[in-house]
Amino acid sequence: MSRMNLKRLLNVILLLTITNVFSQENFLASFTIPANLNENANAVVRSNDINISLESLSEMYVTEKRIVTVLNKSGNDAVNAYVYYDNNVKIKELEAVVYNAAGAQIKKIKKNDFKDVSAVDGGTLYSDSRVKYLEYTPVGYPYTIKFTCKTINNNTAFIQSFRPLNSYFVSVEKSSYQINFPMEMTLRTKEKNFENFDLIKEEEDGFFKFKVENISAIKPEKYAPAFFEMMPKVMIASNEFTLEGVKTKVTNWEDFGKWMYHDLIKSTHDLPAGTVSMIQDLVKNEPNDIEKAKKIYQYVQDKVRYISVQVGIGGWKPFNVSEVDRLGYGDCKGLTNYTMALLNAVGVKSNYTVVFAGKSKRSLEKDFAAMQGNHVILNIPTEDDNIWLECTSQKLPFGFIGDFTDDRDVLVITPEGGKIQHTKKYSVDESTQIIKGKYSITSNGVLNAQVNVNSKGIQYDDKYWLETETQRDLDKHYKNRWRYINGLIMNSMHVENDKNKIEFIEDITFEASNYTKIAGDRMLLTVNTFNRNTHVPDRYRNRKWPLKVSRGFKDIDEVEIEIPANYKVESFPKNNSIENKFGHYKTEIIVKDDNHFVYKREFKVNDGEFPKEDYKDFRAFYKTVSRQDNAKIALIKK
Amino acid sequence: MKIITILFCILISANTFSQNYKFGKVSKEELSENVCPIDSSANAVYLYKYRNTYYEYDKVNGFKLITEIHERVKIYNQEGFNHATKQIRLYKMSAGNHEKISTIKAQTYNLEEEKIVIDKLNKSSIFETEANKYNDKIKFTMPNIKPGSVIEYKYKITSPFWSKVDEFVFQHSIPIKKLEASFEAPEYYSFKVNTKGFLTITPKIEYERGFITFINKTRNTGNGRTSASATTISKSELEYSKHISKYISENIPALKDEPYVNNINNYRASVKYELSYTKFPNSIAETYSTTWGDVVERIYESPSFGEELKKTSYFKKDIDALVGSVSDPATKLGLIYNFVKSQVKWNGYYGFYADDVREAYKEHVGSSGDINLMLTAMLRYAGLNANPVLVSTRTHGVPLFPTREGYNYVVTCVKLQDDSVALLDATEQYAAPNILPFRALNWQGRIVAENGGSQLVDLYPKTKSNNSITMMVKIDKEGTLEGSYRSIKTNHIALSFRAKYNDADKDEFLEKIENKGLEISDYDVKNSEDLSKPIIESYKFVKESQADIIGDKMYFSPLFHLKVSENPFKLEKREFPIDFGYPSVISHRVIINIPEGYKIENLPEPAAIGLPDNLGSFKFKVVGCGNTIQVSVVSQINQSIISPLYYEALKEYFNKFIQKEDEQIVLTKG
Repeated sequence: MSRMNLKRLLNVILLLTITNVFSQENFLASFTIPANLNENANAVVRSNDINISLESLSEMYVTEKRIVTVLNKSGNDAVNAYVYYDNNVKIKELEAVVYNAAGAQIKKIKKNDFKDVSAVDGGTLYSDSRVKYLEYTPVGYPYTIKFTCKTINNNTAFIQSFRPLNSYFVSVEKSSYQINFPMEMTLRTKEKNFENFDLIKEEEDGFFKFKVENISAIKPEKYAPAFFEMMPKVMIASNEFTLEGVKTKVTNWEDFGKWMYHDLIKSTHDLPAGTVSMIQDLVKNEPNDIEKAKKIYQYVQDKVRYISVQVGIGGWKPFNVSEVDRLGYGDCKGLTNYTMALLNAVGVKSNYTVVFAGKSKRSLEKDFAAMQGNHVILNIPTEDDNIWLECTSQKLPFGFIGDFTDDRDVLVITPEGGKIQHTKKYSVDESTQIIKGKYSITSNGVLNAQVNVNSKGIQYDDKYWLETETQRDLDKHYKNRWRYINGLIMNSMHVENDKNKIEFIEDITFEASNYTKIAGDRMLLTVNTFNRNTHVPDRYRNRKWPLKVSRGFKDIDEVEIEIPANYKVESFPKNNSIENKFGHYKTEIIVKDDNHFVYKREFKVNDGEFPKEDYKDFRAFYKTVSRQDNAKIALIKK
Repeated sequence: MKIITILFCILISANTFSQNYKFGKVSKEELSENVCPIDSSANAVYLYKYRNTYYEYDKVNGFKLITEIHERVKIYNQEGFNHATKQIRLYKMSAGNHEKISTIKAQTYNLEEEKIVIDKLNKSSIFETEANKYNDKIKFTMPNIKPGSVIEYKYKITSPFWSKVDEFVFQHSIPIKKLEASFEAPEYYSFKVNTKGFLTITPKIEYERGFITFINKTRNTGNGRTSASATTISKSELEYSKHISKYISENIPALKDEPYVNNINNYRASVKYELSYTKFPNSIAETYSTTWGDVVERIYESPSFGEELKKTSYFKKDIDALVGSVSDPATKLGLIYNFVKSQVKWNGYYGFYADDVREAYKEHVGSSGDINLMLTAMLRYAGLNANPVLVSTRTHGVPLFPTREGYNYVVTCVKLQDDSVALLDATEQYAAPNILPFRALNWQGRIVAENGGSQLVDLYPKTKSNNSITMMVKIDKEGTLEGSYRSIKTNHIALSFRAKYNDADKDEFLEKIENKGLEISDYDVKNSEDLSKPIIESYKFVKESQADIIGDKMYFSPLFHLKVSENPFKLEKREFPIDFGYPSVISHRVIINIPEGYKIENLPEPAAIGLPDNLGSFKFKVVGCGNTIQVSVVSQINQSIISPLYYEALKEYFNKFIQKEDEQIVLTKG
């Protein structure tokens, strides 16, 4: 470190010490919280100071000092008094001090009194990551915890972002972040979502500082953009960094991709010769690349299974292909890489692709090349499009990725470099559920029903897993799907997963006594038996966030109905035809003869983002559908 | 003289088992089988499950406990793949005092072109993790797993914790084709055998002789006449008898969970060996537990129990100040109980031993043991007849046998002058005398008297918890309901309401109710903190589309949105008891004002449905007069726990009751 920097660092430390002395007095007592920060808050972050010092490419000191006042039981987690560590992260200092509402110290917890456990979750076979966390039982609310943690990290590939707001129901009085780095290093930053927050910045050579103050707690809302889409953050990355002892320089996605391909992936492609010839033999009769890829995907699905193992290189380097070949298991990186190597062996080009997986369609930050993502899939470029393969699933059809990685920006890594591409989006018209059914009612109100349900797109994704359920579990599943029918008895349940067409087909028959409501000579028959919408979006007195429907769908039902011979129709419910920007809802009853009708229903919901003012109408739309799905035919004894 | 003692533990070969189950001898038939013959829905099966636990003598540490495991698992399909991953838990107390595992031998077998292909588990694929201070975890997953694979693994665990024999579990989520287990103990150890589950496996008992051979080696160095040195070996042997229990069974069905079972482990076939006494040669017998009397005595004698109960100095001053001037025992009880609840918070840890009552009192935090032993001590100090009650919580299962491990929790019992009994638990803020938190409602507890005697007490509440709902509503021509709601909740229903409501954000709580489709105003809760009174919840509301309007008629069910619409019991059959936790009475009184211009055309018939043996009842009555309709529906469950013999009846009862509540009131225009 140059002398200049050292001096600056000292200045900064001095400055910090002074502010901290000042702030502690202010922050330790609960009654000093400004009124606006108490609103909707379970906890208040009084001050959170993150101080990062990059001493070199392979030495990063991180100091966190956090004072949090917890207002009630639900706020306990907001203290975030834990720290992860592994071979590359050493904990130098760890302490928590607890204060009562008046700001008097009541307890001090030292490093060795933190609980120390493996950070392996249930689904992971092994991970070298561990966590130390504070276990504290509050004796009363509010209380305040001062948490101090200092670590040294040998990896500089991941520099934590400045994210002043971490969760719902927590407000922030003051949050600051500063990073010092040697002059010869170049750091890039990217700010997001600061439109509604006042970000105070200081930037100099070798020094960045960010600060925000006075952020009110936010409440979650349904059909809103995801938390990460709304919350302010500053991302930071160094052009040069070290990952598990390996130094590299990356300034854009192209470099990043090159580095990943040449340093992390290429050397793992050591497919044994025997496997190469076996796989070439396997696809020798396939007419084209797509058919070859299909065959290989099926081979992989039959051969390997997903097991999470997180070791070394920050969990970023895939296992050797030969290892996966021998063991028959691997994590997402290992399995994707293995599939890629097999495809490569038969001359089909495919690319390792980094993605943020999860329902909420999180995209990689396209203009900020840095370690991002939490999952890996495979990309096969074709002339006019891309095929995406989820290699950790043994069930998904070829080219189907479902809601886990659909419709988002991902990083496709090629030997020539990385590039950002967008994954498959399942449109409303692709995500259909078509019901063809019939049912009859006896004169004492017994329902006998038969239905065929065909699902595609995202609606396929919702159901394909049923294929391997036992009859006992299917029985449970259908009784739950049609829970609005009392006393349901399943007579037959047949499900079929057509992986070629990517369709899920269900053939079900069931019965229920007392399906209709009998009142004197009358019988009330709820027309919609198979597909009643019971969902109404939550009501908000004061909607804050825009309305977002992530994925749309379309349901088309056609049902033949037979009523008992000794009854006749007294009245039919009205037909519906509603069309608006959220979708449409149409129902119709067609009379065949005195005792036979056909009920037709179409319900479509579009995906999209709408201003918050639209939420009320969106909710009203769903309410109408719910109500009309409960419409009844009144029958009367002849 | 230098003596080297070498131990020989002579084990008479116990390998009388069929050849087929020798490690490595997997057959083609096993590999080619594609459906489990004893359960076609099984995703995997234990073809063979072997465990042998025995004692081995070692000069330095005495007897050690050895457990040998050998398991062979057939995997039928992808859903069974998780059975290819094995996790072994090893206990530890300190660096030198922990369980050790021997080399794990494991392999996968697959049938490829009629040939058996074997993949061995590599050492590098076995992961050891320190889960926490007391547990290490060994995890591995087998290589090359495909539908049809058979896996097999074998290992040995050596444990210095000779008094703690892990439970023998004979039933799992997948079936077992062939089970062999044996437990072998030297005569010096006497065990109590506790069997549990619906499936009993009777062991074959055998006795064998065992020897501890001490070899004394004496080395004589040359005496001058000759340069040779000689070693004299003398052998001494100690003979003892071994008690062996062998369990052999075949085709054990899988154990499947069912809803509303308080703890499935209560029904799992298993055997637990609990040490009752040790008697070594030339020493006095040391008893552990054989009868409940022994168990209670040992618990009482433990410094973490009896001693902690005797301490008074730390609270003396405070309790004197609190109840010094009070003479009425019931008042004293109330004051002390509330004092403990407000002073010491529960840290979430179970247990009936106190860690340190004094510390807990000072720090205002403690385990269930700390808090309720402290409470007992304070009540005794104030002159009340108070005793601790050992409890097994719902998640811990039912204590069927006299063991210390049978209990995991403690509450307090006070006997009042009129011989009535009050059960108290100060870990839960909203609990009250005889209203224990739900976790403690599990069969019976055991009162530990001051002299060490013990007595059972029923933990299931006898008094019913009530929820009495009154609704006055007006329905208009569009089917919109408007009116007021008031509910009075007592006992456990009040407890769970308080636990939900008191800590919740009030706006959010309201929103949750409103999201059921109501629009609410004037929301009010009375007595949320006053536990001596019932909860009174009231509000005004509007709810749309509560009637079907067809032609000139209106149809609606008399309880509107309050009706029960889903039968909780959906399974066709059930094997385990149905546990409601507490008896209850839910009553609804609804007064409905019908819209002007309409008259009542039809009302549902009154009905009364009963469960057999007075287990529960349902009464339903609707009366109309002019433009008002009065509805009264009362349903009650009279017992906390109901035998599965009544399952059919219970399911049918709910069906009928739901159907009845769904019957329609019909109004006609004009």
